[in-house]
Amino acid sequence: MELFNDLLLGFSVALTPMNLAYGFLGVLLGTIIGVLPGLGPVATISILLPVTFALPAPAALIMLAGIYYGAQYGGSTTAILVNLPGESSSVVTAIDGYQMARKGQAGLALATAALCSFIAGTLATIVIAVAAPALAEVALDFGPADYFSLMLFGLVAAVILAHGSIVKAIGMILVGILLGTIGIDANTSVERFTFGIPSFGDGIDFAVIAMGMFGIGETISNLGGSEQSRTFVKEVKNLWPRWADIKRFIAPALRGTVLGGCLGLLPGGGPVLASFSTYALEKKLSKTPGEFGKGAIEGVAGPEAANNAAAQTAFIPMLTLGLPSSAVMALMIGALMMQGLSPGPQLMNQRPDLFWGLIASMWLGNLMLVILNLPLVGIWVKLLSVPYRMLYPAIMLFCCIGVYSIHNNALDVVLAAIFGGFGFLAKKLHCEPAPLLLGFILGPMIEETLRRALLISHGDPSVFVTRPISLSFLVLTFLLLIVLVAPMIRVTRQRAFEESTD
Amino acid sequence: MKACLSVTRRAVLSGVALAGAVLAAGLATALPASAQADYPNQPITLIVPFAPGGASDFAARLLQPRLSQILGQQIVVENRDGAAGNVGMDLAARAKPDGYTLFLGNVGTVSINPYIFSNLRVKPLQDFVPISIVADTPGLLIANPAFPPNNVKELVEYVKARPGQVNFASPGSGSVNRLEMEAFRREAGLDMIHVPYKGGAGPATADVMGGHVSLMFVTISSGINHVKGGRLKALGVSTKQRVPQLPDVPTMTEQGFPKSVSSSWQGVLAPAGTPQPIINKLHAAIVEAMKDPTIKERMGESGVIAVSSPTPADFKAYIEADAAKWSGVIKDIGVKAD
Repeated sequence: MELFNDLLLGFSVALTPMNLAYGFLGVLLGTIIGVLPGLGPVATISILLPVTFALPAPAALIMLAGIYYGAQYGGSTTAILVNLPGESSSVVTAIDGYQMARKGQAGLALATAALCSFIAGTLATIVIAVAAPALAEVALDFGPADYFSLMLFGLVAAVILAHGSIVKAIGMILVGILLGTIGIDANTSVERFTFGIPSFGDGIDFAVIAMGMFGIGETISNLGGSEQSRTFVKEVKNLWPRWADIKRFIAPALRGTVLGGCLGLLPGGGPVLASFSTYALEKKLSKTPGEFGKGAIEGVAGPEAANNAAAQTAFIPMLTLGLPSSAVMALMIGALMMQGLSPGPQLMNQRPDLFWGLIASMWLGNLMLVILNLPLVGIWVKLLSVPYRMLYPAIMLFCCIGVYSIHNNALDVVLAAIFGGFGFLAKKLHCEPAPLLLGFILGPMIEETLRRALLISHGDPSVFVTRPISLSFLVLTFLLLIVLVAPMIRVTRQRAFEESTD
Repeated sequence: MKACLSVTRRAVLSGVALAGAVLAAGLATALPASAQADYPNQPITLIVPFAPGGASDFAARLLQPRLSQILGQQIVVENRDGAAGNVGMDLAARAKPDGYTLFLGNVGTVSINPYIFSNLRVKPLQDFVPISIVADTPGLLIANPAFPPNNVKELVEYVKARPGQVNFASPGSGSVNRLEMEAFRREAGLDMIHVPYKGGAGPATADVMGGHVSLMFVTISSGINHVKGGRLKALGVSTKQRVPQLPDVPTMTEQGFPKSVSSSWQGVLAPAGTPQPIINKLHAAIVEAMKDPTIKERMGESGVIAVSSPTPADFKAYIEADAAKWSGVIKDIGVKAD
């Protein structure tokens, strides 16, 4: 009953005309800016953060949260339409979403992404309302050793992402890990591979590599193809999901919500791991894993649900403990402090209107996004019928603007161009960019947590098997390795037999 | 549509400010006296070398409205983050010294980084003219509530009985919070293991809260709410007098460590070569702005002390003393990045 009253309070705050208007403004601005390639939620919120300083606290927070979801929606739109993931979590959406678009199912892919995000958003909001404080404690239990094992699991799962050669996927993961070592080392402050350039101190930005490998690389290789392969859409069919489509994507969406909701609680790689591991899970569960990477609707539904659920549960540590679990949440805490509020355990009791108002606005924001985005689907799809000689230069231009605006740094644009060349080369060699990006994100985290866990245990490696959470993930990693390796052994044996009977 | 306007304004104004700065510089060489007399006649860019949402950004955004009002020109806060603040500092140091580009320096960029990053191009003490400090952010010694010692005296006894067994966290190897702990540890003769974190105070604080690491120094604004909420306990604060927001937390000085007085300060600096009349005008404006009750109150809520330097020379002396102190600690512990 108390929950009901709390939610009532929340909706009474979120539904005031002003807060509703700011919520809408937030999702609208978030969507518009998020559609620009390279501008993910972090960049979008940093740009728009100062705008909210003049607003009352609930309106400010509701608007920021709106920008956050909006940017995430916008990011998947470009991932699907032109293979430009705006944020790390939409890299996975690009894999199958873009292939669907090329098959003329852009509308279906966009609608699926929007609906699955809404389902996940609704369920995650309920979870936050019911269990936020309890879940925050779980997040605190994760120590560096546990993170290490979780990230290791994620890295092994990255191999499943590849739909081609496993050796090439491993190669790309390793290149990603190497790229991830660039920057100032946290333990010693030593600069690694920075060539004395201060801008390299924090490493290369994720978006720079993603833009280059996906967007620019894709554009170059399209230009190398025949006239016909350049046209994005031959005929647009199934703009809206039919009953058969809904039946196909509902189960992946629900599984994605659960997995994403759990991983979103964890700081660092939460949402990224969520979308990657959901994709891997769906591919393993699928009766037709061969379709993945060629435009499987499950490959869009699961990851989109997962990253939205994760984006939402990432609020839990911030709201209940005042701890940022991601760069976006750190920005939210900054916004609260500018409002003269103290993010922390006492926030819920001191300002229940703010806490519950934000929770109610999460759901309203998701609802607004569906209402806003479904009619836009038709417009987005029409964009694809723009002739390539106009579309490609436009994509390039927006890539450059997006990449430049992350740090206002021209070097990033040059780097994106270099990665574009590398992306083109990789595509010609049938090496996929997604495993590289996962290696790039997880590699540094694995290094960091490994060193930290060993520092804390004073060099004793048994900490990885004596902590229950860590041990569980190590066992899972081991099982996953067996699943991965077993078919290869079978194939090799088969080949050996074939050769011997010849 | 006020919101929309300010969005584009950020981008447009920085362009305008740049164009303005170039124009003003051109005029300044031709008509130096009059250009300085009607300063400022263009928006002023304040470079913050960290991302929005952090302590430096917080100070800059609080200062911005009142300072704009006093100077009669818009102050544009520009976040140029990267490489522990070195990217923004480098940019500010190379800007035209005409008073239209200012730098929000802090303890890390100005007093610590030059001694950690030996290939740093900027020499803050030579490349900038200090104007005034704006925020004095004390360090807070926090610990997990289950960690047995409840004050510094107990901590010293506890660690002495367990050499090399207690871990302390920090938000980075070259962070002021790590150096605060190293300075204290050396003075007290304690053997503890350093566990550095990345990405601000958040992840490190979370691990102290979760009990994975026992204790750490944090800037007071990152720890005060957790202490008030009972998720962490505070063993000491690095100010000379107790902080009004945490009246029960004794200072390090009170507990026998008078050398443990330190601050993660923020202050405004201008590129070297900025004309003295402009420096004086900016100094007077900042002193005036820091009297604003809203700024004092907002900073006070998170334990930060709103301050200003009596003269620019005082701020210069403060920075020199601060840099000398931290470079000594850095030399002692041997952190160096070549």
